Amino acid sequence: MTSLREMKDKGYIPQKMQIKLFLGGGISLSKTLLLNMGDLKKLRVMHNNAERYVRPIRQYDIPTFNNNMRYCESNEKFLRPTLYCNPLEPEVIALADKLGAFKKSDQEFAEAAFHFVKEKMILEIITINEVGETFRRGTGTCFHLITAFIALCRCAGIKARYKMFAMNMIKAWYEATVEADPLVKKWYDSMGYFMIEGEGEAYIDGKWVVAHVGAEAERQAAAGIPITKFGEDSIGNWFSAIPGTIMISESIPYGFGTATKLIKKIAPGSIERVNISIQKQIARGRKIIEDAGGENAYDKMTRMQRGAQMPKLDIKLRKEIIFEE
Amino acid sequence: MYSNLTINYDEYIKKFDSCVSKYIPKINEWTPTDYAVYGPKDLFKVPLKDATELQFNAIKYQFKRHYEHNKIYNNFCKDMNVVPDDIKTYENLDRIPLIPNEFYKDYPAGRDFALWLANIFTGDIPNIKINGKNPSFDDVINAFNASGLAVSYSSGTSGRHTFIPRDMRSFYISEYSAAKNVVSMIYPLWDYNMHGYLLMPNPFKTNVFAGKVCTIYYDTIKQVNVAIDREINTELIKLSMTGGKGLKTKLIKSSLKRMNIKMVDNIISWLEKNDKEKNKIAFVGAPYILYLVTNKLKEEGRTFNFADRGAVGTGGGWKVQENTRMPLTSFRKQVEDILGIKHEHCLDIYGMVEGNSWLTQCPEGHYLHIPITYIHPLVLDKDFRPMGFNEVGRYAFLDGSTFSYPGFIISGDQVRMLEHCPVCDRPGPVLEPEVTRASGKEMRGCAEEIRKMISDDVKE
Repeated sequence: MTSLREMKDKGYIPQKMQIKLFLGGGISLSKTLLLNMGDLKKLRVMHNNAERYVRPIRQYDIPTFNNNMRYCESNEKFLRPTLYCNPLEPEVIALADKLGAFKKSDQEFAEAAFHFVKEKMILEIITINEVGETFRRGTGTCFHLITAFIALCRCAGIKARYKMFAMNMIKAWYEATVEADPLVKKWYDSMGYFMIEGEGEAYIDGKWVVAHVGAEAERQAAAGIPITKFGEDSIGNWFSAIPGTIMISESIPYGFGTATKLIKKIAPGSIERVNISIQKQIARGRKIIEDAGGENAYDKMTRMQRGAQMPKLDIKLRKEIIFEE
Repeated sequence: MYSNLTINYDEYIKKFDSCVSKYIPKINEWTPTDYAVYGPKDLFKVPLKDATELQFNAIKYQFKRHYEHNKIYNNFCKDMNVVPDDIKTYENLDRIPLIPNEFYKDYPAGRDFALWLANIFTGDIPNIKINGKNPSFDDVINAFNASGLAVSYSSGTSGRHTFIPRDMRSFYISEYSAAKNVVSMIYPLWDYNMHGYLLMPNPFKTNVFAGKVCTIYYDTIKQVNVAIDREINTELIKLSMTGGKGLKTKLIKSSLKRMNIKMVDNIISWLEKNDKEKNKIAFVGAPYILYLVTNKLKEEGRTFNFADRGAVGTGGGWKVQENTRMPLTSFRKQVEDILGIKHEHCLDIYGMVEGNSWLTQCPEGHYLHIPITYIHPLVLDKDFRPMGFNEVGRYAFLDGSTFSYPGFIISGDQVRMLEHCPVCDRPGPVLEPEVTRASGKEMRGCAEEIRKMISDDVKE
């Protein structure tokens, strides 16, 4: 039984901003549903002749766990197991071992974990589950994928945590994930943003390095943006964080999956349509990458075209700023 | 009664400079920036060759400072492979790395916001005490400003502000150039004894840049009335500009509505008084307020005649009242028809919180003239490469007058730049008068508009 103190310490209890966003999202969703009962009735199911979502085949093998595989078992903050993220699950240990845990430097391993999750795992809107199940399935929401990255890092003895924020998204991504279903669109539009988006962060050589693993190269190509690398932030690239909503947490908080569970229950058809649209976006991106001559060529070309780069923010404490209670 | 109609320009601007002497540093402290800003008697009449030299020196000076004293900008330049020694000629200015305006719109909240401001600041900052565990944006800004800085922000469509940390030196430059530009353009109409109406929030009660920058109005004109004489902070703007609901929002909106009605009546009474006393008048501020006033007078079938003794300087855009936007030519006509203020004395100013430049319309053609002694204007194509004259693209600029942050900015506005004003003989490039928002490649602006529209539909 987890004590209240542990719940607080590990970040299971939602932060004030998270509660605000949950409530905002919940109220907005309820309102959208209540005001659109007719649409809901139509959209909650998939019609007989409608295209159906078929989950893509997992793109990797999971080695069989054996006792010779090394792992980090620690109760230290950012290394220990948290909600939905147990780095000691056999699938996590086996994959971390395959990716070079304890054989590579922290930087090299975190990069390998980043590429594995970003390139081999696929976005699917689905309710939240334990990380082992996510690896077995090979798909998940961005939070499943971030959890997968964090679990791999923690298993390899690298501290890792969540960075969450409310965001606006770039148009291309909006078209694929929001416009794909009228109900989701109305929900999004009535709020102005989805409730919470996230990234992982790994602690390497005294610095937290960001890892946005939620977007495959193909989806980024479909959106016309560069293929982001380990250490590159999604904020400013395809999301813009709503000011004041960035939160750092060791764990996914309690109640996090409620919204997706709820919408899955109320409007499973909507979820399916969004997942179909994501698959189409991936196919479109694959074609764009092929036409450009591969991922590297596409990435180079897009970065050159982008031109307007942003300075990187590195906020440090300043002795002149004195905080008083 | 008024005088001043025969004063020569040198004497005219000398009088102006004596009113605003506190804004001008002592000459022994002048840097290349100060020579470019305070040196010319008329910023819009400096011969191109001299202006270019002043501009190059000011921008190079500031680029070196920001490179050496701003860690974030230093890293950015290193990423872009540019160092101060690369800027050897005027043509090299295009190599200076530009910061997209979005950079100043992404900031954390609470205590981190204070650190964000401190980190984007160039050079040393004074000690700043921030109270409370979770200070609001206003708490942080007020703490910075109480320590002698001048942090200000844009009104922000949908409440997303752009925050810029200025030191007082940079802020004074902005104020000085805004005032001097207008005074130069309306020569010889300005007179310290004019009666002024500020169509903005009280500059002493707000940190909104377009309002705060108007404190100089009180130094250049003896008697100033203000249209919005209440504290305007981020919270109030958020409530009034977004579709927020709830009792607090309703109360504030209803109070603002009442205030607006009273404001229009107050301005009309003020016009009556000055008409009777034959005073010279000057309106400065948001055009929509004057639009409301002239509309009311029009409805009542009333007119005034302030020809040769009235001036209007507008700026700040039409953001809140976007639905009542009218072309500037129609606006000038309405002002002339109703108030009698000549169209050549009704000038619009284009500026933004990210820069110290105030592009000012010329009275002859109403093209926006650029103070090129310290501003290097650019129009960028979709890949952010500089384009030639006459092309429509994203407006960007190198501002050689900002000491506390790198004023090398890509704006969110779309413009067309001409090599020379087609109407008047002032040297240097101009922008066509109607500046529009660039179609965003990011969702931020458009999404917000769509959101509002759709959520209204949903409500129905």
